[in-house]
Amino acid sequence: MLKRRKRLPCLSGLVLLAGALLVAPVLAMPKRVMSLNLCTDQLAMTLAEPGQLVSVSFLAREPSLSMLHEKAQGYPVNHGLAEEVFLENPDLVVTGTYSLHNTTALLKRLGFHVEEFSFAQTLETIPGEIRRMGALIGQEKKAETIANDFDSELKAIAARQCGKHPTMIAYDQNGIASGRGTLADSVMQAAGFVNLAAEMGIVGVAPFPLEQVIAAQPDVINMSTPQTAPTLGEYVPRHPAIAALPQTRVGAFVPEGSLSCGTPLVIKAVRALAALRSTMAPCPESAAP
Amino acid sequence: MRLSISLTLLALALFVVSLLVGPAELSSGDSVAGLFAGGGEAAAIIMREIRLPRAILGLAIGISLGLSGAVLQGFLRNPLAEPGVIGVSSMAALGAVLVFYSGLAGSSLYALPAGALFGALLAVLILLAIAARQGSTLTLILAGVALSSLAGALTSLVLNLSPNPFASYEIIFWLLGSLKDRSMEFVAIALPLMAVGWFLISLSARAIDALSLGEEAASSLGIHMGRARFMIVAGVALSVGAATAVSGTIGFIGLVVPHLIRPLTNRMPSSLLLPAGLGGAALLLAADIAARIVLPAGELNVGVLTALIGAPFFLWLVVRARREML
Repeated sequence: MLKRRKRLPCLSGLVLLAGALLVAPVLAMPKRVMSLNLCTDQLAMTLAEPGQLVSVSFLAREPSLSMLHEKAQGYPVNHGLAEEVFLENPDLVVTGTYSLHNTTALLKRLGFHVEEFSFAQTLETIPGEIRRMGALIGQEKKAETIANDFDSELKAIAARQCGKHPTMIAYDQNGIASGRGTLADSVMQAAGFVNLAAEMGIVGVAPFPLEQVIAAQPDVINMSTPQTAPTLGEYVPRHPAIAALPQTRVGAFVPEGSLSCGTPLVIKAVRALAALRSTMAPCPESAAP
Repeated sequence: MRLSISLTLLALALFVVSLLVGPAELSSGDSVAGLFAGGGEAAAIIMREIRLPRAILGLAIGISLGLSGAVLQGFLRNPLAEPGVIGVSSMAALGAVLVFYSGLAGSSLYALPAGALFGALLAVLILLAIAARQGSTLTLILAGVALSSLAGALTSLVLNLSPNPFASYEIIFWLLGSLKDRSMEFVAIALPLMAVGWFLISLSARAIDALSLGEEAASSLGIHMGRARFMIVAGVALSVGAATAVSGTIGFIGLVVPHLIRPLTNRMPSSLLLPAGLGGAALLLAADIAARIVLPAGELNVGVLTALIGAPFFLWLVVRARREML
């Protein structure tokens, strides 16, 4: 009896300790996460477990911007308003640093846990962003797998390239090109293309005269998928002058929305361009891996 | 006649300069070779598909605006009448925007002139109704101001409401006008309509001469007023509507050019028509060349330059008109 009595508190202490160890990560894992930014939407929808993500931004349902627009139909949407966050009262709010400064500042003042993602526009930083989101919402294992897959696929794509680098210009609405420091530039490089706009000194997303596109005669001109609602700006990348370039491949070569965010889904754009490159500069039989 | 010949030469010279100016630094030899030699070389594509349509549109839209300004000033006997000032251009832009961006016609370019012609026609009819009731210079101009501000606001609203987020970037194009990156497709949809408009306006030459003696005198001279009014309304609506459909609103050309050229003519309204059209072409081509040279990378909207020239001129005309009234 005595022995038992002595052992009991000891046992219960162990149980408590074990329980605490088990519970600790579960407690730290936010049960209700709200995402206010198109790009955090993509990361959160990829990583969160069912029921964990209470809402995503309304842009997540926009097919031209969001790769996961179908999945987003299954979530309620918010419009990035502080009032919506206040009513929902989530454990964690994730958003981007470039948008909604006022909302973010207000939410922090109200005591919400707000995490901002800067989304540097290069492929190298993406695995870090995936791991960070994983750690924040308690999905480290899933994040680690996705980040590693992303890294290894990029390396595999780089290893499969041979021959001369074809040239490319990403040309869009109203004659805008993607220059140095853009996600599109990083994707073009990873897929083994030379971004002529960056070579010619364009930084960021900037106007690029149509005449210079023609004069540069790139091997590929990539444009975005046309929208259902028309604009005059859409006629610029579809100008007859571009169609008249004899050696240039012109078209929407990357999946719609795949270049809008630095998330693991951008790998689909790299894959598509790498496939295009392999048809343009195929490896000789012996060198094929 | 000598005036028309020298203005033709001026417009043609500016047409050639317009072909030689652009961000791709082609030498003039390359440009000429590109224009006439065959093949798919970059220089040939740039000259034929980019610079040639731009120069043609500059010429044709300039003629439309100069001619419309001259005929409206003669017909309404109002020195301040001009498609931009009295709101015809803004209403044409609104019409084009409504039809094109709503996607009613798919993304077909034909939606642009269809909507613009309707808008321009509506504007001319409204203004004629107002001018017929009360002939004062001021009434017409004030009605034009009201019409253009309303049309401008609605144009911005329609573009903001488009489900395509890029549409709102095009507010600047519709309000300030530009000839940037227009292709031969735009020439094909606009030039025939403008030409019909020019023809109709030219048919009204005798009527506006007679009208300078007053409406009753004109009728006694055997002028059929209804017919003349139809020619002018349809001619202005066609030429300004088609011009605005492809270039956005470009203001003040129809105001400045007739005033500059009138002292060089015999002051009969009809003898002003041809020189005003040619002068309009020269002024728009010059402004479009300047728009490309001043800001080579970004490019100015040509409507900004015509407003910089035209707005002070308009103020000067207003001041002068007041002094004459006193």
